[in-house]
Amino acid sequence: MWRLKAVGRKARRPEPHGEELRSERRQREKVLRQARRDQQLVSKRRVQEDDDESEEEGAMDTAGHLLSKEQVAELFQGLQHGGLKKLDHLRTLRKALRIPEAQLLFIKLENSIHMLVGFLSGTDAQCQLEAAHCLHELSHSPEPTVGPACLPATPYLITYLTGQSAKFTELCLYTLGNLCAESVAVRDKLLAQGLVPALAICIQRPSLAVVEAVGFSLSQLLQTKDAQDKIVPLVMASGIIPHLVAALQPDPQFGMGAAIECAWCLHYLTCSNKTDQILVDMGMVSKCSSLLITLGGAVATENTDEGLELLVWPLLRCIGNLLAGDLLDGLVPQLGDSRLLVALCVLAQIFLQPHPALTRESLWVLNNLTADSSVFCSALLFLNLVPILIQLLPFSLGINIMVLRILANVANEGSEYCSQLIHRGLLPALCATLKMADPDVVTLSLEVLYMLVTSSSQGAEEFVKLRGPAALEAIQYNSQTEMQIRASYLLDNVLPTHSLVDTTTS
Amino acid sequence: MFQSELLQFLTSSNSEETRIEAVPVLNVRSKSVLRAEGRRDGQEPAPPFSFTPQRLRIGANYDLFEDGDVRRHLYLQDVASSVSDFSQAPTVSEFRCHISGCQQLFNTLESYEHHYSSVHRHVCSGCKRHFPSNHLLDVHILEWHDSLFQIMAEKQNMYQCLVEGCGLKFKTSKERKDHLIKAHRYPPDFRFDKPKKAKSRPPGKVVQQSNVSMELGDDAGPDRGEPVAVESMELCLSQNQNSMAAVASDRKLKSSCSYKVPASICFGAGSLRGFRGGRRKK
Repeated sequence: MWRLKAVGRKARRPEPHGEELRSERRQREKVLRQARRDQQLVSKRRVQEDDDESEEEGAMDTAGHLLSKEQVAELFQGLQHGGLKKLDHLRTLRKALRIPEAQLLFIKLENSIHMLVGFLSGTDAQCQLEAAHCLHELSHSPEPTVGPACLPATPYLITYLTGQSAKFTELCLYTLGNLCAESVAVRDKLLAQGLVPALAICIQRPSLAVVEAVGFSLSQLLQTKDAQDKIVPLVMASGIIPHLVAALQPDPQFGMGAAIECAWCLHYLTCSNKTDQILVDMGMVSKCSSLLITLGGAVATENTDEGLELLVWPLLRCIGNLLAGDLLDGLVPQLGDSRLLVALCVLAQIFLQPHPALTRESLWVLNNLTADSSVFCSALLFLNLVPILIQLLPFSLGINIMVLRILANVANEGSEYCSQLIHRGLLPALCATLKMADPDVVTLSLEVLYMLVTSSSQGAEEFVKLRGPAALEAIQYNSQTEMQIRASYLLDNVLPTHSLVDTTTS
Repeated sequence: MFQSELLQFLTSSNSEETRIEAVPVLNVRSKSVLRAEGRRDGQEPAPPFSFTPQRLRIGANYDLFEDGDVRRHLYLQDVASSVSDFSQAPTVSEFRCHISGCQQLFNTLESYEHHYSSVHRHVCSGCKRHFPSNHLLDVHILEWHDSLFQIMAEKQNMYQCLVEGCGLKFKTSKERKDHLIKAHRYPPDFRFDKPKKAKSRPPGKVVQQSNVSMELGDDAGPDRGEPVAVESMELCLSQNQNSMAAVASDRKLKSSCSYKVPASICFGAGSLRGFRGGRRKK
């Protein structure tokens, strides 16, 4: 079934159409971004069987599976008549149903789904499995009419979540998960049929593949527009949350798949604001913290699988949003490991290229940790993390803004903090950021500068030695008010009170 | 890549040293004391700084989360087979010349600094010429904009050699030029050695603009020919020109007032700022 290792496995296949794949990816990405803006971001997943792989070797030739209308009808008839060949027919059908055209043809045939449901709920185990596969292919269809056509099967699929073999359960789960991504009508029906409680039971199975599938299905539900009102209360009532948290630990053999799905579910739940107390009580922050430390260490020592960011990302978001909630006092005992700060800096640095957005989010968590916290600000200084942060200042799209916020948090704590920052070379870096194009960067730099130069005469003197005032003067003659008034204030009121050394000779 | 101590610490299993309690917490200064240091007593307005630490909450649909969401969904859809397909490079901030009216963008700090030095640093407020060095600017102002200069030149050698460190002075600009060519091997058409034009701007009168802020006065110390350099500073801005004289003007005004800017005064800073009055609108 789906594994992250499968990602690597596919990579080793010969890629005759590398460029095509890349442009396909770019196109998909574009579609996804737009879907997100429309708040319609859902994705279906297709379970892959090992024997699928061998069939897909060589050319991606689907023509061999493309059946004509007559052939589909013939297949259907053959199945209706029963007999010994039904298993073969079902297998052929399953492969045929990978193609949207065949899917459409099939569902239009009268009683076709009904027939599949018959096999699904029947006593022949092999046929049952094949029927489930057929339904799975249908659930994965991009055509909007195909998924809803599968509704008659769902009560059975849900029932089978709690008693079958792991493999079968997994298949049902992905089928249901794909159907969740359909319309509101389908979703409502599934919820009414008791999908969420069934998921809660399912997740307790010892099979991590099943846990991963549960996580996927739940994440589909939680990403919908009406999740806040409809889904979250059900999830909270079902008791599934502790199991999601427990599943966060990656498994050395199975890999990260289950942890990834559950982490994303927890991210969506955290965003909903309703589950903060439950999560905190369950030690969610402590768990995220120790995981991030482990992952940070793995990344830094280059001891990782590909795709680690898929797990890091939701963990960062959970911890970031929980820190910004109302339960901060309750979190303090869970934030007892100072290595979290190191991990966040390491992650920010390592993921800068290829994922600058992840850098930004890691810094966001650091901001939330250090805001108004003398403990974490002291730790940042004590652990010598400031140089890493300064190195991130050249980068835009929110990265340098977040770094400046963190440094401002530290400076804001008092003059001892400012001295330490000055000692670690912040002033020369500020002299550069004062000259950047983004006015928010400049304004925030001025805020930090103000704190540094008013903390001690040393700050002001050093700033002058670095010819910093020249940058302030340039800002003074700028039309952007926020920058201008701050720069002017510094020049008029703060700097002249210290003895100035003129080094502006050419 | 990382300091090895940091890495060791990160992967350490020594729970004693990784406890947050093991970190020495620095003293927190009370905020009001901190801010008050920057203020003079009485007349100054409140410092316009407003930073407060904030814990930010980010909702599921915020833009900040877009890239991560897209990455997740590409994974679900099994679109890419290797990490390199997902790679995005970070973008580097650009630099901008903040002088209103200039606003040029630069890719590197070096190119910004170069621009600033050559265009904005040594500018004559009177005629807006810029010069590559302080020395040349000083000489220019002295010879072009100082009305006493001519008088004094009749009595003593006033034309300084343009080469810094030479120190020789000459009676006429021609003599100086000859010296430059002979002793220092300068070309005869050196850009920064133009003789003063006969038609100079009458002192006290600068190009009229309708939106000069009126609270500026002539009161700029002993009047030496550029009484309202401050005014021209305003004008430069509203004229929206590239070669900004503004920042240099204060200093050069001072030099024409007192002939020599005291070394302790920082470029541009000084009492003249008080003349600027209210905030300019572009």
